[in-house]
Amino acid sequence: MQLKPGTKLVSSVCETQVVVVRAPEGEVSLGCGGAPLISPDDEPTGELDPALSDGSLIGKRYADEELGLELLCTRGGAGTLTANGVALLSKGAKPLPSSD
Amino acid sequence: MAGALDGVKVLEVAAWTFVPAAGAVLADWGADVIKVEHPVMGDPQRGLISMGLIPGGPGAVNYIIEQPNRGKRSIGLDISTEHGRRLLYKLVEQSDVFLTSFLPETRQKLQIDVEHIRAIKPDIVYARGSGQGPKGPDAGKGGYDGASYWARGGVANALTPECAEYPIGGRAAFGDLAGGMAIAGGIGAALFQRERTGVGSVIDVSLLGMAMWVLSPDVVASGLYGGDPMPKFDRKNSPNPLVGYYKTKDDRFLTFMLLQSDRFWPELCEHIGRPELIADERFADAGARFNNHRDLITTLDEVFASRTLAEWCVALQTMKGVWAPVQMASEMVDDPQVEANGYLRSVSLNGTDFDLVASPVQMDETSVALGPAPEHGQHTEEILLELGIDWDEIAEGKASGAVL
Repeated sequence: MQLKPGTKLVSSVCETQVVVVRAPEGEVSLGCGGAPLISPDDEPTGELDPALSDGSLIGKRYADEELGLELLCTRGGAGTLTANGVALLSKGAKPLPSSD
Repeated sequence: MAGALDGVKVLEVAAWTFVPAAGAVLADWGADVIKVEHPVMGDPQRGLISMGLIPGGPGAVNYIIEQPNRGKRSIGLDISTEHGRRLLYKLVEQSDVFLTSFLPETRQKLQIDVEHIRAIKPDIVYARGSGQGPKGPDAGKGGYDGASYWARGGVANALTPECAEYPIGGRAAFGDLAGGMAIAGGIGAALFQRERTGVGSVIDVSLLGMAMWVLSPDVVASGLYGGDPMPKFDRKNSPNPLVGYYKTKDDRFLTFMLLQSDRFWPELCEHIGRPELIADERFADAGARFNNHRDLITTLDEVFASRTLAEWCVALQTMKGVWAPVQMASEMVDDPQVEANGYLRSVSLNGTDFDLVASPVQMDETSVALGPAPEHGQHTEEILLELGIDWDEIAEGKASGAVL
């Protein structure tokens, strides 16, 4: 689908909810736990794929730099977020090399 | 229940624990606290999780971030860029308090010093946490509580036994957490002043000043009598054996604070099951106990070594004189006073429940509910949208790196 920043999407197989905060130019197919991410108004169907059940965490950003895609997780769940079938990586604060 | 600071907006440009802990207290009191973090690095304290200080892995709770940042929102802005600074200034316009731990030189470079922030919001309360204070030769130097509070502030020396090879170390963020509380108190007073006069103050708390405050009996005494006048007694030579530690059968400790020893001596004898000691002339009054303190300490050592800490806690329950078990951090959760007063509050994060410590000021006997700390930049878009920034500008900021 063609994404727009601000769009809210939910998993059809777990509790995960996301907001699109950076949208790629072209079409992209978003999934969670092996099933497509859907609009909150749509009827959820399908079952969690155990191979895609690493989970999502609230407040984390899941991104694909090459695609120019970033999703902000607003509710965590059991499924792994994917774009075009590929698992999205969580963006974290870059750890310090050393500290006090 | 409404918090005392409901509706107060706080902008926090700070890192580590000291100044962020002030933000946490203000959030506990109801303020809307926005934490500004670099879009890539974030608060460097987040990085401690990678150093093995905190157990990692999925679902791990970064407690060193949670405790001083609970209840805030986080925005990822690079305020060294023009775009990032412009967005920060928009946040300043709507803020009542600006909270920072950044060094003077950095504040100047980033254009977030008092004059820059006042130019946008003249009546803002500008609060700074520093190592050594805003004046003097070391005003521009950094500080951590291990250095400015613990070492320079005299605490390490005061607590280290004379026989120790090296000074003892403090616990994580020991002075930071007390210092953050002090900043929050200063901000409370400054907000009251602003309410009455319309003028916002600059608030300063340094870790050095904080250490001197907690060590003030020693500091004042040394000014009066010179040297290091607060005596450190070998416990066997304590002039009042009813003040100090005693070891129990299970190698735990009790402490007694029976400063008015004549008042509490008979009661202590009854509670420890040795009523015959009341009539013992060697221990008849404070003077006699002072003269025979070695005998008394030996006697009490034998008495306390005869039962476990748990048994003593039951036996001493009805005593009026003040005593306490020497507890471990892990035992607080079972302390009935902690439970009754709500000093620990449960927080849920990604299916993990854990306790955070409430800030120590309670209003109207209410322990406020706490929420988790924000993820790095978790609320970036939400906060920018509230400011009226549209998705096109957010996308532009993301592309340039000014926005997370």
